[in-house]
Amino acid sequence: MEFEPKILGIACNWCTYTGADLAGTTRVQYPHNVRVARVMCSSRVNPAFIFRAFQLGSDGVLIGGCEPGDCHYSTGNYYARRRLAITKKILEFAGLEPERFRVEWISASDGIKFAEVVKEFTEEIRALGPQTKFKVKKDIET
Amino acid sequence: MKDIENRLKQEAKRLLESGEAEVVLAYGRGYDEKHPMPYAAKAVSDVDNIVFDEYCTFNMTRYLTEYPLGTKIAIAVKSCDSRTLIVLMQEEKVKREDIVILGIPYRDMIDSKTGKAIDNSTACNLPNPVLYDILLGDEVTERDDGSPYDVLKELEEMELDVRWEFWSKEFSKCIRCYACRKACPMCYCDPCFIDQSQPRWADKSPSLESNLMFHLTRFYHLAGRCIDCGECSRACPVDIPLHLFHKKVSKECEEMFDQVSGMSLDDKQVMVDFKMEDSDEILL
Amino acid sequence: MLKKIGLEKLNEFVSALIEKGTLFAPVKGDAGVDFQEIKNAGDVTLDFYNTLQSPKCVFFPQTDDMVRYRLKKETTDIEEISLDFEPRIAFGIRPCDVKSFEIMDKLFTRGGIVDPYWESRRKNTTIMGYAFDAVDPADFYGAFGIHAADTTGSDVFMVKGEKNLLLKAITEKGEKLLSSVDTLEDALEEDRKYFEERLKKGAELETRTLSLEGVAGKLRDMFGSPYWEKVAAPCLNCGVCTFVCPTCHCFDIQDETLFGEGTRRKIWDSCMFTDFTLEASGHNPRTQKSQRLRQRVNHKFSYYVTNFEVTSCVGCGRCTRSCPVNIDILTVVEEAVESV
Repeated sequence: MEFEPKILGIACNWCTYTGADLAGTTRVQYPHNVRVARVMCSSRVNPAFIFRAFQLGSDGVLIGGCEPGDCHYSTGNYYARRRLAITKKILEFAGLEPERFRVEWISASDGIKFAEVVKEFTEEIRALGPQTKFKVKKDIET
Repeated sequence: MKDIENRLKQEAKRLLESGEAEVVLAYGRGYDEKHPMPYAAKAVSDVDNIVFDEYCTFNMTRYLTEYPLGTKIAIAVKSCDSRTLIVLMQEEKVKREDIVILGIPYRDMIDSKTGKAIDNSTACNLPNPVLYDILLGDEVTERDDGSPYDVLKELEEMELDVRWEFWSKEFSKCIRCYACRKACPMCYCDPCFIDQSQPRWADKSPSLESNLMFHLTRFYHLAGRCIDCGECSRACPVDIPLHLFHKKVSKECEEMFDQVSGMSLDDKQVMVDFKMEDSDEILL
Repeated sequence: MLKKIGLEKLNEFVSALIEKGTLFAPVKGDAGVDFQEIKNAGDVTLDFYNTLQSPKCVFFPQTDDMVRYRLKKETTDIEEISLDFEPRIAFGIRPCDVKSFEIMDKLFTRGGIVDPYWESRRKNTTIMGYAFDAVDPADFYGAFGIHAADTTGSDVFMVKGEKNLLLKAITEKGEKLLSSVDTLEDALEEDRKYFEERLKKGAELETRTLSLEGVAGKLRDMFGSPYWEKVAAPCLNCGVCTFVCPTCHCFDIQDETLFGEGTRRKIWDSCMFTDFTLEASGHNPRTQKSQRLRQRVNHKFSYYVTNFEVTSCVGCGRCTRSCPVNIDILTVVEEAVESV
């Protein structure tokens, strides 16, 4: 069977999630490989979520927040940027392909960007193949 | 060395007598000469038990958070330990005015387990304490030891998969005794995320995967806070080189945010701070 | 029966043992030597003082699976994991550690409730004791009447000479094992002499010691003493001492489930951890580290003596050697008794 990447998307309520909605309502097609979870702000993303997602079998994790300067809470995404940057370095130093983790700023009006990012990321992950290093139950399909 | 011990005793006695300190955190005798112990002197009569030698590697700041805020404490610190103090003060776990800092100008301590000198490949090993009230001896002269991050070269140059092999072998050894976390002066959370049952972040039983979850999250929690004292690795009964991962995270923090942890009381920690001009390039 | 084998032929002998049952033997790792299940005969080493962790893992592994289950909508599929009745061989166990098995037997099989996991493995295991040839300053097994070449409790007892490994059958079980391995040679008169000499020398080796008289009662009486706060001051409350200890036996039972499938397993727990005594209500009767250290010491030197008439410590020195802050249980007990 051909490998279909499983990607966890975590999107902020005010921009990226609304952008994803816009992509849907305007019927812009994007791969179904991403499962989006909504959080109120990208700074709500605890890096442990990301480690855990990889453990539970995600092949890639995509975090979406507002453009810097546009955060609904003014500064949330500035904090998130630092945290997620360190998280990425930790993943890489542990030996996980850093390309499996991506952060994008996607505004509420940018449904097209959301679709493009998902498309591009899915293809990247497809090329990388399944993520098995962190996965807890390596033998079962999750 | 003996001079430092004598000065330490002298100051401890003076501080306890005058009531400037209710407790002096220093080092005491253990079951033999190579194995001293952390020691809390609470009365003038305790002062005679204080020792200092090259085996007194403990970072005594680890005990500070056990005392209620406001306790007047005098504490013996070596170079890395003084940086911990700065971090704990930044986090308001201790107040500057409650602490009398007895600086120990001494480096190249000896790890009693390996018998080897502690250098900047296993700790920060700065020559002198960064912050102190009383320095118990003359300042140690600077010396070019290279960067404390030189030791990372080999790991950084490894292929990704080889590095994964390295760390997965190391983390598989973990028996989850939590000595690393308990020896760490910055790990004061109660409860620690790994002990939580809701949510349960990882299995309680040791396995590569649950150990990985514990250690990676712990490395993240120490980002921008770890001052490279190396206590985690020294405490580890199965010799996991945790300090190497911590060093890497510190190095990245320094490069990305241009600030060294625990060097100045005026700094704001990088993980609770941001700059408008932080570049998106750090996310690549 | 006294047999011998040349040290250069150790591999052959170990291979023969692997044929006889699941073999647990000392293997050199990064941090020190530890007992492991042996797949390759070449992994086994006899060059060590004592292992980092105790051999309790042969009978009582850190994680011990009991039941596997799969959660369905209305029912749960359950598969009980059968008890291990395969013959086992524990190779290279130091005399003090051999004694620890006997101490743990009391709790696991004679405490009114029988632990089938411990019992089944214990019954089917042949223990091959191994004489010390030196004394580490942390050790104090002498305090419990154990000596460096004590054969008590072993089925086979081994002494390493310069060229040979000498093996003596102590029990019938041991005799059966030794006579079934044909790589072994019969020992000569000089070997016999050497063996006896080593046993005698072992008995003369002196460790640190401690008088156990009245200790249990004194510890009980000083339960509320401020001594505990003083002595626990350096303690980090990590679990190293309890995990490396041959007689610490506390465990937790956890259901570890993921995607509807899981395992109920026994996992080592430690009285040094805060959540060890945490109750469902949120109440925790042991919040202070002094209370936890007191529990560890009293359990070994007082409560266990009350319940089973033996001290739950064999003086192997592991906790002292592994403690990140060099707390020494012998000193703790000694000073406790003096403080009364």
